[in-house]
Amino acid sequence: MGYKPKLVCFSCKFGWAYLRDMNALGEDAEFLTPVECSGRLDALHLLKAFKEGADGVLILACEEGHCHFQEGNFRTLKMLYLLRDVLEAHGIEKARVRIEFSLDPEGRKILGRIARMKESLSALGPLNRALL
Amino acid sequence: MWNTVSKGAAAVEQAVKQYLPPCQEQCPINEDIQRTNVLISLLPEDPGEATAGILQIGDYLYEKNPFFAVCGYVCGLCELECNYHSKGGAIKRRLLKRFISDTYIPYLEKREEWSLVKHKENVAIVGGGPAGLMAGYDLSRRGYRVTIFEASDRLGGALWLIPRYRLPERVLESTLENLVRMLGMDVKYNVRVGQGKWTLDKLRNEGFKAVFIAQGTPTPRILTFGRDKVEGQDLSGVMYGHTFLYEVSHGNIRPNYFRGKKILVIGGGNVAFDVARTARRLGGQTSILALECEYKTSRDGIPADVEEIRGAWEEGIRIIYSRGVQRIIGEGERMKGIECPKCLQVYDDHGFHPEFDLADTMVLDGDILIITVGQGPDWTALQSEGLVDAKGRLAVDPLTLQSRNKEWVFVGGDLRKIGFMVEAMRDGLAAAESIERHLQGRDMTEGRKRLFEVQDIPLRRHYLSEPEVVWIPPEKRMHFQLFERGFSLKEAIEEARRCLACGPCISCKACLSIGLRESLNPVEVLTDRCCGCGICVSACFYSAIQLKDVEMGRISITDSFKCKSCGMCVAACPSGARALRDDPLEGILQNTYDRLS
Repeated sequence: MGYKPKLVCFSCKFGWAYLRDMNALGEDAEFLTPVECSGRLDALHLLKAFKEGADGVLILACEEGHCHFQEGNFRTLKMLYLLRDVLEAHGIEKARVRIEFSLDPEGRKILGRIARMKESLSALGPLNRALL
Repeated sequence: MWNTVSKGAAAVEQAVKQYLPPCQEQCPINEDIQRTNVLISLLPEDPGEATAGILQIGDYLYEKNPFFAVCGYVCGLCELECNYHSKGGAIKRRLLKRFISDTYIPYLEKREEWSLVKHKENVAIVGGGPAGLMAGYDLSRRGYRVTIFEASDRLGGALWLIPRYRLPERVLESTLENLVRMLGMDVKYNVRVGQGKWTLDKLRNEGFKAVFIAQGTPTPRILTFGRDKVEGQDLSGVMYGHTFLYEVSHGNIRPNYFRGKKILVIGGGNVAFDVARTARRLGGQTSILALECEYKTSRDGIPADVEEIRGAWEEGIRIIYSRGVQRIIGEGERMKGIECPKCLQVYDDHGFHPEFDLADTMVLDGDILIITVGQGPDWTALQSEGLVDAKGRLAVDPLTLQSRNKEWVFVGGDLRKIGFMVEAMRDGLAAAESIERHLQGRDMTEGRKRLFEVQDIPLRRHYLSEPEVVWIPPEKRMHFQLFERGFSLKEAIEEARRCLACGPCISCKACLSIGLRESLNPVEVLTDRCCGCGICVSACFYSAIQLKDVEMGRISITDSFKCKSCGMCVAACPSGARALRDDPLEGILQNTYDRLS
């Protein structure tokens, strides 16, 4: 049981850990990537992450009604509906992409969310990149 | 915890034409409302940790508005135009500012004197109210040596007429004292310029190169009926609201002074309500009589704010609408009542022109009559100083505030046009700019008319409802302590998060100032890829994108004044025709990809 999934986690800078030095979150948040708004991400950004070696992608977006740019969080969710269907059609589990909506200025929840997702990725095993 | 920096990119520039959020456009001094709302929304929830941020926000507000702590108690002009107004209630900006003020005032009292090099001319300011002090603040920072000539024994002018239950004494006192102290302004008290030996020419002879006159409106308007003065205003028991509030604020009226007395207040403005609510707190059985009707939307509607009317009503003040005063009934030397005919109309198409039905007259008994129907400037001083025109009106340019009769004299504040505190402050700023231009021999008007357009409400599906403002119940607020509860830190953060930040980034830059974003990258359209499909138009929350027909076909264009560089259109474009110039996202993502493989 030596498999350690690689999880890329995109977090919105306006909702997550803006009061904290994110480098201090340590190795478990190795692939944590803060972005200006989750709505800036498009499907290709996620597919590229899978292609480059990620086993899963977690997006930490702002709570409903709290997006600094109005509704970037909702846009991302909408994008994910389609992307996950496409992935599934290619034989890639939907659970490899997840979005969570919350407000976490101090970044207290991030490690927990990452751990939880890694757990479910471990159960899935490594991503077969040939499917992409 | 973040730190604000004022270096280059994070500074908000003043542009001649720009879009602003409606609140900032509404604010006469265009306070940076959006920026400070966003910063409040990003405060830590722990009060200890938040203090540093609150003080940074306070320092930032102070730069542009040294009266912000007072505004946080008494001004809410910006809220009237908030885009959220129709979607769950305007952002409670006044209470947000009051929240900052509560932490800031004790710190303000310890702030050091500013090191200013005052190598420029001597300027005299006549009147130490909001207009005069604001001019003094701006001129001192520009390097002028400012002397304020104040007629009374304390600064603040009409601000002292605001009852304590709305504005705590310490907030006002501290704001005034520290402003003068930190800026090193010279103040001469008990000097009435325009009376006796203190003439404008004397000031000029003493070396003042320019004078700003902002003496306010110290003269109460007398009560008239038709064209005639109402008789009996010299009876014992009759006073003017202005004088009454002045005496109360000076502590010259003891508690319960009106106990057992019937008080009649005449007037329908906010000051009349201040008078009535103050009289009520002094124990009087109080009625307020307004010429106007109760329907605020009507042309003849009462001018006082809804909150004032509600407050007065809750406190047991009888409000009588649509009545004028024809006669003050006296008994010997004392007043004992008034005759009040029904007012049928207050305004006609040409202005103030009340009509009455004399057949419908009611008589009200009272022990004290407080007339609060407005106030005006001291015209005798203005006339003797030659500042009026042939028709007896103030001869002053409304843009530059320069006197048309004496080019080294500038006039502003309530004296010029009665208004809100912050309007007087704007006059102070305008006068400071004019004085500098005048003394430097520059063009007085060039580039001064700034054009603002208001950003519309952005598109979104979720709106949050406004928080409830808590007032102490009426039976427990018959005193001069504050009756409105302020925000806690948690409430302030929540309310600030509700702000839509609808204005463009260029007039805000909160995120840049704390390093949350590195830059605002403009959107570019790759015209050879753009097919004019319009997906970006619907993707933009700020209506910044339009389609345009050009030679090669239809393309999309972006209004750079409205664009917030959020990248929604970039993510939405199916053909990669849109990009942010020098987009930092690409580098950030590449870094992660590199670490993966």
